[in-house]
Amino acid sequence: MDAIVVEGLRKQFDPPKGPVAVDDVSFGIREGEIFSLLGPNGAGKTTIISILSCLLRPDAGEARVGGFSVTRESDEVKRLIGVVPQEIALYEELSGRENLLFWGRMYGLNGPALNKRVDEVLDWIGLVDRQTDRLEKYSGGMKRRVNIGAALLHNPRFLYLDEPTVGIDPQSRRSILDGVKNFNAAGVTVLYTTHYMEEAQEISDRIAIMDRGAMIAVGAQDELVRLVGERTRINLALDRNADILAERWRDLAGVSTVSEPEDGRLWVLTDDANSLMPRLFDSAQTAEARITEINLAEPNLEMVFLHLTGRALRD
Amino acid sequence: MKRAWHIAGKEILQNRRDPLALLFTIVLPVIFTVFLGLLIPSGDEGDTRLPLAVVDEDGTRASQELIDGLADIPLLELKTSSAAAIDSAVQDQKVAAGLIIPDGFGEAAEAGRPVALTFIRVETSSGAQSVWEAVEGALSRSNAATLAAEVAAEQVSAETGRPLDQGLLRSALSIAESHLAAPAIGIEVIDAGDSPVARSGGFQQSSTGALVNWVLFGLLGVCSTVVWERKNGLLSRLSAAGVRSSEILGGKTLAMVALTFAQQLLLVLLGQFAFGVDYFSSPLALLFIMISLSLLATAFGLLIASVLRSEQAVVAATVVTALLLAALGGAWFPLEVTSAGFSKIAHVLPSAWIMDAFHGITLKGWGVADILKPIGIVWIWIVAVASVALWRFRPE
Ligand SMILES: Nc1ncnc2c1ncn2[C@@H]1O[C@H](COP(=O)(O)OP(=O)(O)OP(=O)(O)O)[C@@H](O)[C@H]1O
Ligand SMILES: [Mg+2]
Repeated sequence: MDAIVVEGLRKQFDPPKGPVAVDDVSFGIREGEIFSLLGPNGAGKTTIISILSCLLRPDAGEARVGGFSVTRESDEVKRLIGVVPQEIALYEELSGRENLLFWGRMYGLNGPALNKRVDEVLDWIGLVDRQTDRLEKYSGGMKRRVNIGAALLHNPRFLYLDEPTVGIDPQSRRSILDGVKNFNAAGVTVLYTTHYMEEAQEISDRIAIMDRGAMIAVGAQDELVRLVGERTRINLALDRNADILAERWRDLAGVSTVSEPEDGRLWVLTDDANSLMPRLFDSAQTAEARITEINLAEPNLEMVFLHLTGRALRD
Repeated sequence: MKRAWHIAGKEILQNRRDPLALLFTIVLPVIFTVFLGLLIPSGDEGDTRLPLAVVDEDGTRASQELIDGLADIPLLELKTSSAAAIDSAVQDQKVAAGLIIPDGFGEAAEAGRPVALTFIRVETSSGAQSVWEAVEGALSRSNAATLAAEVAAEQVSAETGRPLDQGLLRSALSIAESHLAAPAIGIEVIDAGDSPVARSGGFQQSSTGALVNWVLFGLLGVCSTVVWERKNGLLSRLSAAGVRSSEILGGKTLAMVALTFAQQLLLVLLGQFAFGVDYFSSPLALLFIMISLSLLATAFGLLIASVLRSEQAVVAATVVTALLLAALGGAWFPLEVTSAGFSKIAHVLPSAWIMDAFHGITLKGWGVADILKPIGIVWIWIVAVASVALWRFRPE
């Protein structure tokens, strides 16, 4: 049986006119896995996390965490979960260590056990050296790490991370992703949200793709990619007129999808790369453009999203 | 409820590290105490005598007697001056008026010839008017004595045949003066005590007023931390960690009461020892008032933060609330100087009762029994406001 079960969840803000943030969403998360919610801004990821954290009541549907109902047994649910909010929810005037001590006390820890646990967490998040500095002196990445650490103090069985890598340098992102994998390896079940396809691809056992409040696909990565069919991705770079060509290529026979060009780069999804490529070169020539780079690849989640919604993931 | 203590500890730590906190809790209140204390007229026993500059160009026994007579008038404070300096001293209002006793005053007085003194004043000065009346009184008493002595001496001379000489005149004068010193009709002046209006001026008013004002403005602080924590997801995070609303509000209340109590204590000690305000007629009553004031400000702060969402609305509401409570409650000016009707309406506000209780302590030496009514009314407010705050509070 799934450790977290979500069934027919629905949430509308400021009814009757407000946005339907979550619309009839159902999924299950297995004990011990990393489960990601992947979707663009406004997809409803945070709303789902809030409902599963007992901070928001759903209008309809039901969610159970570790067998407890989020609406009727919120105290029990809250004891099982650690929540890393999307924004950095910490006290700037306190040091990293003081923040962790405070949140530990909120989870009912105290005395030597609390101090020991804070030492451990500081070690995991790599901030032992800077622990006595006030948070206002930390970099964005360091704050993000404390933000995660504060959710780990009470050894939660379930860890929710809501876009924990937004706006930080690649190095910090790397250490956060590795950290999440480590916690998971230590037995924590992870619910992770992101709008970065690469992240979801890298760390997840299973992924739910969300758009505008709806869940459009759930499964392991290879299952999702199969939704696109037996297709090949042709990655191209053009020296000019990429927009015009993208438009033209959408009408070519054998082309299933063309991405929006970005800095002259785009990709084309096709089920017959061999016959399509010469035609791409021809039409580039008639548009007085040169193909400066070309390679073939497997489809990825971005293509799944585009295939299912008709829109690019990052817009 | 242990979490409430930890939340309070965290708040106090944050406050201690806030560089602006000291400015608002201590520096500004002290500046206001001094500023308003000097601005609001005081009814204190301080030196209220009117300075009169006197130039004695005569230097005789008669001129000295006049000066002594003037010095005995309680209203006047005599200052010896010189003919050269007296004009500018009056003009610069260093003294209320000036009096020149000319050369030949003693001789003329002895000979019974009329003599003119010079009185210098700034015409619009009401102080000078009072001085003039006092000087005139002294002179007419002295004139009366001289006249009486002359009449008596003439009578004695006519009836006894004794020659009307200086010796006779002098002894008649001294008898007349001694009789005038104990006149047949006397007026006894009784000090009926100072009026309350006069008494709650000066530092008596400004010390308590600034204290109440700045504790009330402390509700801005409570409010803004709640709003900030809600906006930045800290309240949600607390709630997700299983912390209850009552624990969050309880912790904030504890911290606010502790901080504003410490602030009040400092201001009270300063008022007591630097400004001569008498705060400690009943330390227990004082303690009740101080804690009630702290709770009152906290309750209003939490109410506003619970009911309103947008930051602008909260800032506007806190400023307006603190202003109304402080100004109309009598923290800026004593309600006794307002009309009875105004004062009555102002006593709808709990802050007016707090000010009453403070004035009771500092001016009338109130004890615990005396503050029960005003502080009881304040507590009705505290309970009502805090209940609504707790009822409406949402972390997210
Ligand atoms: N408190 C709120 N009041 C009104 N509307 C809200 C509120 N919170 C979210 N919404 C709306 O609900 C929808 C889903 O928001 P949500 O925050 O769940 O998206 P998200 O997937 O987390 O997006 P992001 O990647 O930007 O964090 C959006 O249209 C958003 O505008
Ligand atoms: Mg979000």
